[in-house]
Amino acid sequence: MRAFVLGSARVPRVGDCVSQSLKVGWARRQVQHPRRVRYLILLAIALVAGQSSAAEVIPAKPANYFNDYAGVVSKDAASRFNEQLAQFERETSNQVVVAVFPKMQSDDDVAAYTQRVAEAWGVGQKDKRNGVVLFIFTQDRKMFIQVGYGLEGALPDLTAFDITEHRIKPHFRSNDYQGGLAEGIDSILKAIRGEYQGTGKTVLEKGGTAGPGFNLALFLFFVVALIIISRLMRVMGGYGYSSGRSGPVFIPGGFGGGSGGGWSSGDSGGGFSGFSGGGGSFGGGGAGSSW
Amino acid sequence: MNKFALGCGGLVAILVFIIVVCGLALMGSYNRLVGLGQSVDAQWAQVQTVYQRRADLIPNLVNTVAGAANFEKSTLTEVTNARASVGRVQLDPNKAPTDAKQLQEFQAAQGQLSNALSRLLVVAENYPQLKATENFQGLQAQLEGTENRISVERNKFNTTVQGYNVAVRSFPTNLIAGMFGFAPRPFFEASQGAQNAPTVNFNFNSPAPAASPAATAAATP
Repeated sequence: MRAFVLGSARVPRVGDCVSQSLKVGWARRQVQHPRRVRYLILLAIALVAGQSSAAEVIPAKPANYFNDYAGVVSKDAASRFNEQLAQFERETSNQVVVAVFPKMQSDDDVAAYTQRVAEAWGVGQKDKRNGVVLFIFTQDRKMFIQVGYGLEGALPDLTAFDITEHRIKPHFRSNDYQGGLAEGIDSILKAIRGEYQGTGKTVLEKGGTAGPGFNLALFLFFVVALIIISRLMRVMGGYGYSSGRSGPVFIPGGFGGGSGGGWSSGDSGGGFSGFSGGGGSFGGGGAGSSW
Repeated sequence: MNKFALGCGGLVAILVFIIVVCGLALMGSYNRLVGLGQSVDAQWAQVQTVYQRRADLIPNLVNTVAGAANFEKSTLTEVTNARASVGRVQLDPNKAPTDAKQLQEFQAAQGQLSNALSRLLVVAENYPQLKATENFQGLQAQLEGTENRISVERNKFNTTVQGYNVAVRSFPTNLIAGMFGFAPRPFFEASQGAQNAPTVNFNFNSPAPAASPAATAAATP
């Protein structure tokens, strides 16, 4: 309901207020400026202020499918959830991410804020746009299921609302986070299973094999080019470097660039399946509850 | 003589080169503008879809609410009227409006409907029996979802239009835009009506908007 009333009203307000106070301050100090210049400057300031109106933090992309930043479930349960969600992507290609935060880092409405976060994380495959993110903010006692464009049919707002209101909320009310999350995840997966076919691999697993392969090809290309160039130089009779030496010199550089992307499971520990967004997008579908 | 011919040939070659380069640049800019214009239209279609989705929900909502015992009739007629006036401001769903006034009219009509709907939902708060029904709860969830979608698609539309307008106005693309008639497109503005709407939202334990104390503080010195 709050989204409904305030959604379009909040942003202009802050901007208006800022420009108002600036106008007063400015008029007192700089009266000698011609009117038009002043107006233009004010307009520019108001535009800038309008764009950065909400002091909001979009959290960094999560490294896992199940991310408990608030420490509400046990390590065992977290890794179990994570494995369940990773396996779900392998089977169906749907990316479902759970993020439990202590607090919302925005003054905006939960629906609008979580849409921006989900979009920034790029959960879901780019072409199918089949991502779902379940956000929990424990101190705000709010949750929201953001549904990607491609799953709005399988998981309509009504179903999402049913899940947060009737499956998760009762557990959370009695402080049973683990139980609520387990039931919530199961319900989400049940709703969206069968919508798309999986490839047996997650985005990260696919990227993990494709990345080095590509770099290796590039590296080989450079080596071949180098050899040809050195040959050419020798043929032309200048001060050619011996090809024997130039090869090894370039190998460390080439490999250093190629193996930089191994951030997946190293920092999460405990044999977690890492998560990497496929570039999905969100249109504000889904629903939430507060408890 | 031979030298002269050679010089002439060189000059022609340089001229041809310049023309080709200019042509390529022109083509690139033109194609970019076409692409950006297309994405504006595509996003406009998206905006229309979500507004239509809301309009489609209304008959169902009105029926459900009207079924509740002695529900305030004035709010219902207000919604129905607003819905009708939205229907009168029809814009081409496949082509984003080029006239700022057109878009303003559209926005005003939709804003009126938003206000009427939010009032209806506020009034519904006074009818616990209605609120408890599965049907109403479902409709409310759908309506909220639709409002969320509207705000998302409107924001995306504004971002897309901004990208297009920047291209149309910045040098040297603006020359090509002028030549081929690419005009800047209007975008959604925060309407006055939307700003005045949340006067009745005390039921929703939302934080008071921070703007009002700051504005009075700024105005007093």
